[in-house]
Amino acid sequence: MDQFWSVSLQLLEGFKENCILFGVTLLFALPLGLLIAFGSMSGFKPLKFLCRAIVWIIRGTPLMLQLFVVCYIPPLLTDGSFKFKERMTAAMIAFIINYAAYFSEIYRGGIEGIPKGQYEAGYVLGMKKSQIFFKVVLLQVVKRIVAPMSNEIITLVKDTSLARVIMVPEILKYAEDFTKINGLIWPIFYTGAFFLIFCGVLTLLFRFIEKKLDYYKG
Amino acid sequence: MKKAAALILAVALTALFLVGCGGNSSSNGDSKSSDTKSESSNATSDSAQSDDWSYIQNKGEMIIGITYFEPMNYKDENGELTGFETEFAKAVCAELGVEPKFQEINWDTKEVELKSKTIDCIWNGMTITDERKEAMSISDPYMENKQVMVTKESNVEKYSTAEGVKEANVVAEAGSAGETVAKEDAFFKDAVYLAADSQAKALMEVKAGTSDIAIIDYVMSIGTLRAGSDYSDLKVVEAQSFSPEQYGVAFRKDSDTTQKVNEAMKKLAENGKLKEIADKYSLTDLVIVK
Repeated sequence: MDQFWSVSLQLLEGFKENCILFGVTLLFALPLGLLIAFGSMSGFKPLKFLCRAIVWIIRGTPLMLQLFVVCYIPPLLTDGSFKFKERMTAAMIAFIINYAAYFSEIYRGGIEGIPKGQYEAGYVLGMKKSQIFFKVVLLQVVKRIVAPMSNEIITLVKDTSLARVIMVPEILKYAEDFTKINGLIWPIFYTGAFFLIFCGVLTLLFRFIEKKLDYYKG
Repeated sequence: MKKAAALILAVALTALFLVGCGGNSSSNGDSKSSDTKSESSNATSDSAQSDDWSYIQNKGEMIIGITYFEPMNYKDENGELTGFETEFAKAVCAELGVEPKFQEINWDTKEVELKSKTIDCIWNGMTITDERKEAMSISDPYMENKQVMVTKESNVEKYSTAEGVKEANVVAEAGSAGETVAKEDAFFKDAVYLAADSQAKALMEVKAGTSDIAIIDYVMSIGTLRAGSDYSDLKVVEAQSFSPEQYGVAFRKDSDTTQKVNEAMKKLAENGKLKEIADKYSLTDLVIVK
């Protein structure tokens, strides 16, 4: 039993890193994703192509590869003079860019799904485009994207465990160390409980949000 | 006005993207001076890393790339890093007058780590192979190792002969010396081979019964199979051992640090310090620096 508690505590220590990575990624990727979404819907062609190219590259390559690129390419190109002091920083940058690309497509789907008639009605009433977007469209977008967003955010929880490929000491790495150093196998499977609980809480939270937003049929 | 805003956004995103994808725009600028310096030294001397030692000496610390495994590098009850390699590397660094700094690495990307200077050497029971000698500069061999078979206690008898190994499922770490044994040694001619991504996973395969035999380092088996671990029902098949091999420390290709470390190792062997450390981890028979 003592062993169970000491393993649990150490895994919790590792899971803290997962939570930090999760939080920081959400904090920056949500607004960055909106920027990219605006960019890829922009009437200004170069910006539009640039944003779509970014989304294509980021969605078209494995996140694991992107982690290697962010962590190793800068020092390789600068002969070691530019490197990340904390590997966590490299992981955060890779995750933020990756998730911003996915979020941007969700935003775009939500925004473009609003019927054109609503804009036309707004113009008739003499509203400016920005007024229409913020006062009429945005609230409906939020409601529409809750389900796909919650999907992506729950994926993010589990993806954080990938940070161990650049040696960020997250929970699965702790568990693998238990196997390698102490010869204990069960901690690896036990980590599943941490993710399940975290995702369970998120699921309840999203259900609550969906219910709150259910005041009209959009 | 709107176009201007769009343009600014475009520039900002490009910058962000480039930073994320390798920082070839901004970070190159920061390090221009050091780049030109190393280029000019390339031009004057043949070896690209002839100033590697002064690079390490200047920053005052040698970053040592390790992975955790007992008895080489592992954490003791207080969470302190310890082990044969840990103490050996510390002693060598003390001899050379630099601070040792241990960085855990992913074994699969060790060459990238070394090249990108996120570490200065790989010092972790690394087997010397011809391929590695091609890619990196490797110190004099300091320790001997062999590959052994690990299986469930009840099967030790059965797998002691080539006849018994017939059609057995054999697992080893991909790219390891154990894999070479499994694929090439006549003993395993009729066995079925499976690659795992680490020696620990190979052992887990055997423990779970999905494979029958794991081929791992003898040195690794000392720490992992001890009583009280989840693997305590696994045993080394003592009747057979394969491909004796030697451990070395790897540095960047053509590095002049290798020579320094070789000299320091010899010194530690002469003054008995190396034997002292090896005794502590009962590895004395395997040490070969004279």
